[in-house]
Amino acid sequence: MPDLLLTELRKIQKKDGYISEQAIKKLNKKTGIPLSNIYGTATFYAMLHTTPQGKYIIEICNSPSCFLNNSLNIIKYIENKLKIKSGQTSKDKKFSLHIGSCIGCCDKAPAMLLNKKQYTNLTKEKIDFILKKLK
Amino acid sequence: MQIKKQTKGKALAKAKKLGQKATINLIKEKVLLGRGGAGFPTGTKWEMVYNEPEKEKYLICNADEGEPGTFKDKFILEKNPELVIEGIKIAMFAIGAKKAFIYLRGEYEYLENRLKKLIKKANIEIVVGAGAYICGDETAILESIEGKRGQARLKPPFPTVKGLYGKPTAINNVETLANVPLAIYYKDWNPNLRLYSLSGNVTKPGIYELPLGTKLCDLIKLGKPKNKIKAIYFGCFGGCMPHCEKTKLTPDDICGKDCIHGAGTIIAVDEKHSIVDVATNIAKFYEFESCGKCTPCREGTMRILALLENISLKNADMKDLNTLQELAEVIKETSFCGLGQTSTNHLLTALKYFRKEFEERIKEQKDRRRIR
Ligand code: SF4
Ligand code: FES
Repeated sequence: MPDLLLTELRKIQKKDGYISEQAIKKLNKKTGIPLSNIYGTATFYAMLHTTPQGKYIIEICNSPSCFLNNSLNIIKYIENKLKIKSGQTSKDKKFSLHIGSCIGCCDKAPAMLLNKKQYTNLTKEKIDFILKKLK
Repeated sequence: MQIKKQTKGKALAKAKKLGQKATINLIKEKVLLGRGGAGFPTGTKWEMVYNEPEKEKYLICNADEGEPGTFKDKFILEKNPELVIEGIKIAMFAIGAKKAFIYLRGEYEYLENRLKKLIKKANIEIVVGAGAYICGDETAILESIEGKRGQARLKPPFPTVKGLYGKPTAINNVETLANVPLAIYYKDWNPNLRLYSLSGNVTKPGIYELPLGTKLCDLIKLGKPKNKIKAIYFGCFGGCMPHCEKTKLTPDDICGKDCIHGAGTIIAVDEKHSIVDVATNIAKFYEFESCGKCTPCREGTMRILALLENISLKNADMKDLNTLQELAEVIKETSFCGLGQTSTNHLLTALKYFRKEFEERIKEQKDRRRIR
């Protein structure tokens, strides 16, 4: 069933950290789904990446509930700390940062996902603490 | 809370005893309306699928809760997932679907394992999304499950006629399906109890279960705001209005103010925040989430954002407010799907109720330039 495409792509994303051209070609051989379709789907979703990502992917929310709770300052703080902007990966390949849409933690704003795990009620101190623990 | 009650499989047993037709009729009698935002009668939707002569039919549980400020489905999936699974099984039985899908948004991936355990041997497959607001749209969900870009389809045909893989499909929201077993099993089930997701400038945000018709200000009081609340946003798509004592939480009352009651999303904005900044923030959201399929929405959301950024940061003119209004109306009228059509509600209502804030910002910027 072609419905597996999204699931397959998520698996690759999880395993390799991104969806490479090679991986797309391999998937095309395996499933027969045209390359253009695979690429089209892979580039459509915010959580699928077609460029190499850092070891830790940060997806931080900037939708209204977070925005009303200081998310912009937290985002700026992370950008300065990691010296990257949204969509970029740090030089040491440790972090990728993506500013995105609501992650459903609006009652604990501001919030982010770090490798899919939720971190909420973010403050600068909390960011320091979270990032320091990561190897 | 009604939504935390359990039925432990007894509602499913009762439905099986009643048979398909009678189960559908019971849901119709109990007036269970869809809780995803549109409020379509669930029993009627099921009946449409049931009546299709096709053998193969599908049920989809829409767990792609993406409207900013909404987290009630997550609450249900965390607190009472058993109820949702039983609701899915009842719906499958009623419409005659051999297979169901749960379309779980990528951000809620952590709920997948628990759900899998509860599904056991039932023919329910979980498809995890990967971050696309548009996939909350029912036809975009179909595309996404089929492995394509999650873009909306032209309607008609409606999914009840030609849905997943071209087969009749019922798509129900999590809160709707959770209420199915309750409606079937409990005589005193209250159809008017809704889950409200309260967030924004309140110190006690969270899920509040309240009857339709509750005064909006009573809900805000429960949230214990620190400062005076001046505006309420009903998510991004629902528009905004001034916070007033009289408004009641009913679709009619809120519609009268050009807003949408939707899925019970309430974002409170206090007087320390500027509506111009909130509007710019929401415009950014739409510019990011527009799927790019049609021109009014793809180009329009970009232009709206540029105009708003110009107003909030640089050198706009009063004329620009009219341009903004016109463009917002065109996008609303001509966009292909619901995302684009509702993408400017927030702006049109903001211009209606808070135009002064926009004018003041433009004046401020002008004065600043003069001093320089
Ligand atoms: S209105 Fe927007 S989201 Fe909908 S089809 Fe057009 S571009 Fe895509
Ligand atoms: S608005 Fe940030 S998590 Fe919902």
